[in-house]
Amino acid sequence: MINQLRTTSRYCYSCAIVIIITLLQFPIFAQERYRRSPPYPDPLPSLNLPEIQSNVLNNGLKLYVVHRQNLPIISLRLLIMNGESSSPNSSPGLATFTANMLTKGAVGLSSSEIGEIIDSIGGKLSSQVFPDYTVFSFSFLDEYFDRALDLLSRMILQPSFSSQEIRNLKRTMYYDLARRNPDPEYIGKKLLYQILFKDHSYSHMAFNTDFINDLDRKDLMMFFEKYYRPSNAQLIVIGNLNLSTASKKISQYLNSWKGEVNEYYQYKVPKALERDKVCFINVPKTKDAIIFMGIILPPKSNRDFFPLLVMNQVMGGTHLSRLFMNLRESKGYAYWAYSFMEFYKICGVFYIRAKVRPSVIYAAVQEILSEIGAIYNRRIPSHEIEQAKSYLIGNFPLSIETYDDLSSRVSEIQAFNLGNEHWDKYYENIMYINSQEVFATARRIPILKPVIVIVGDKDTTLEHLSQFEEVEVYNDEGEMQYKITKENNEEK
Amino acid sequence: MLLKQFFIFCFLICVSIPGFCSSSQAENQLPFPLNPFELKNGLQVILSEDYSLPIVSVAIAYHVGSMHEEEGKSGLAYLLENLMFLGSRNIGRMQHISFIQRIGGKLNAITDVDKTIFFQTVSSHQLASVLWLESDRMNSLSITSANVQRVKRALIEEMQLRKTEDPFVESTNQINKLLFPDFAYHHPVRGVEADLREITVEDVNKFYNTYYKPNNAVLCITGNIDKAKTITLIRKYFETIPRGNEIPRLPPAKLIQMESSVTNINNPLVSTPGFYLCYRLANPLTSDFYTLAIIDYILLKGNSSRLYTKLFKKDRLAYQINGTIDKRKDLAAYKIFVRNTNEIMLERSQKAIFSEINRLKSNPISEKELQKAKNLFKIDYIHQYSTLQNRAIFLVDATLSGIDLKELTNELNKYMAVTPMKIIGIANRYFVQKGILLNIKTK
Repeated sequence: MINQLRTTSRYCYSCAIVIIITLLQFPIFAQERYRRSPPYPDPLPSLNLPEIQSNVLNNGLKLYVVHRQNLPIISLRLLIMNGESSSPNSSPGLATFTANMLTKGAVGLSSSEIGEIIDSIGGKLSSQVFPDYTVFSFSFLDEYFDRALDLLSRMILQPSFSSQEIRNLKRTMYYDLARRNPDPEYIGKKLLYQILFKDHSYSHMAFNTDFINDLDRKDLMMFFEKYYRPSNAQLIVIGNLNLSTASKKISQYLNSWKGEVNEYYQYKVPKALERDKVCFINVPKTKDAIIFMGIILPPKSNRDFFPLLVMNQVMGGTHLSRLFMNLRESKGYAYWAYSFMEFYKICGVFYIRAKVRPSVIYAAVQEILSEIGAIYNRRIPSHEIEQAKSYLIGNFPLSIETYDDLSSRVSEIQAFNLGNEHWDKYYENIMYINSQEVFATARRIPILKPVIVIVGDKDTTLEHLSQFEEVEVYNDEGEMQYKITKENNEEK
Repeated sequence: MLLKQFFIFCFLICVSIPGFCSSSQAENQLPFPLNPFELKNGLQVILSEDYSLPIVSVAIAYHVGSMHEEEGKSGLAYLLENLMFLGSRNIGRMQHISFIQRIGGKLNAITDVDKTIFFQTVSSHQLASVLWLESDRMNSLSITSANVQRVKRALIEEMQLRKTEDPFVESTNQINKLLFPDFAYHHPVRGVEADLREITVEDVNKFYNTYYKPNNAVLCITGNIDKAKTITLIRKYFETIPRGNEIPRLPPAKLIQMESSVTNINNPLVSTPGFYLCYRLANPLTSDFYTLAIIDYILLKGNSSRLYTKLFKKDRLAYQINGTIDKRKDLAAYKIFVRNTNEIMLERSQKAIFSEINRLKSNPISEKELQKAKNLFKIDYIHQYSTLQNRAIFLVDATLSGIDLKELTNELNKYMAVTPMKIIGIANRYFVQKGILLNIKTK
């Protein structure tokens, strides 16, 4: 009997093996072993970035040329090394208005005619004003280099600042700014910057419509004459041309641009806050609340930049980072939560942004503060550091692929005197970052005392802020209206 | 004498051979190389090397879109696009996105009327990983009840949100029905909520197994590649995926003589009126289309186009005007969309547009204005391949649209060859009567 059972079980066992081997021949069950796991990556390729060739023209204009031959397009980026921080305190927004006016007419050329010329060379022209500098971005078909330079020279050398166009631009800017007002993310970031840079000229970048009415032609002319000088300017050119060709052409059109800037002001670094601060601003009909938390950082030229970059990536660079995984995936408080860094000449800003339901604002803020505390009190584990570095290294060449992005990176390097660490030495600077460096850097910045800004509809949000010790309520001028304290929930 | 005659004879024979003198016709006018080939299982592949930066872009396009959906099952193609990110046999849910993000890359996907394209750009040393990810979901997508329900829920939520954020969703659907009477061409790519709710796992399985096959796909890799190694990798990851069955052919679109029409609708979600003015155009693969594309630029592109200048800058009849050519496989339409402050301005805007179209039909355009339109077109055309990602999409899109790559290399020249007389001829052929007008009035 036992022998029979043994024979039967051996027989079943053999059948089972035959069946399994047969089934493995069918694609539905078979698969190549190498599909089961990701392949090993190849060695990291070298960066081999193009050289940034430079020259200073006779009139003091600094010229930078990056050779790129794959497209029949030239990208020009003209920087004037003064921005919104140079607008008078009585007129924040003047720098932006002046920059916009330059494309609205030159002597002998109306705004429409400028538009026609830009179209005729397949061009796009825009301006953007930062706290420290003003940028004019101009791209066009390379066969029209001369026509583009001719237009640029006429706008820079002989802007008309006509009364009609000033009136038109006032109307456009007023409506553009007014249209942005219902956007809670725009309002929240603006208030954050108004508070972080209170009494500092960087707060001018958060300008309102107030300055528009009183602005006149005299103000524009004064700003233009004072700062739009070749010795205060840089021109970055990207395209299929070399430094010598670019220098000759540009000199031909811009040599008559003369003058120097007579005063250079050295701005002080804004003071960090003594304590954290919770601020609220009302945006009616906002269904959800937006939370901003921000601090001042050292400038990009500081040695702390690369460790901060890694720290920011760990904290909130992607949806795999700590903030997103905690606030959304784990706790379900937020639709999204990320962190960012922005840099100016004398400092930077680190801020966190999250979108949450009003009922969980307090809990979400506590979680964010807890993540900040974790970065401050404990070293980030090596695997998270390496993950962040892998992202930053992989992403860097993608971030300079287009002519616009390349031009933007080069102009920042030149404007802030950043050097090769931010260009072809970028990979090395990231690769050598370790957990200890990031930890030491996090302890040098005022990360534990952020400004907290909450944006929402007061009818559905204020009630959920009662657990905060004190909440300051602001208007959109950045002025505190009153405080609500926890003790008695009263307005003061 | 005889020798001299012999040489003259040979010369005459040679120059009469097409292409002998104009070897540029065979040259690639595009500033990047093209290396197409096909695997045994029917997967078409295009490689295009570019060593400017150490990055690569990988695009894979399946020849399937909303036009392949049956009535009652709209939204299936878009649902499947979303499902493709929820895992396959060797890759967990959302792991495709996480993997690309971890290595610093970027990715996205688009579903159109006749194609669905997945694309990503990464540092070039990670190419093998991307091919591993793409081949796994082509070969063994996880189509489970849980995943299908998850995607359906998300898409229905997205649809409901869009209705509140975009007051013109319904108007857009209506104008598309008027322009493209066939269900296959007019129904929204995202589908309708009622259909989405009824889609089953079996529907999804059937759709995937019919269309997501190598013989119904094009793979394009652009950037910093070693061609030989890349071909080896492609064969390794894709060649063992079995070819699918013959793809069912769809009936051609019905050719209908479009009559002019005026339709009025009320839209309670908008505070000011507007309208769509549209014209059915030629098949995008015919030569008339080169001229029609330039006409779009004359009328509506740039700072100084005719309609923008007339309606917005000069006479201030409209506060918003834009337009586009909407291509749907063999069909196309020109759509002009305008917003006005009130109905008087709406009527004046329409009169102004008809007046400009009549001018186009009767007065030859100046060379200067035509060159301006062509230059604006040219720079936009160049931007279609200015980045590796754009280039990969440009190439797969052209292949699935039936454009021969050899023809593609010379395509821009055909647009640049448009003349003032061609514009008059084509405008008279297609901008007939008063087009198809949909007036959107406030409550």
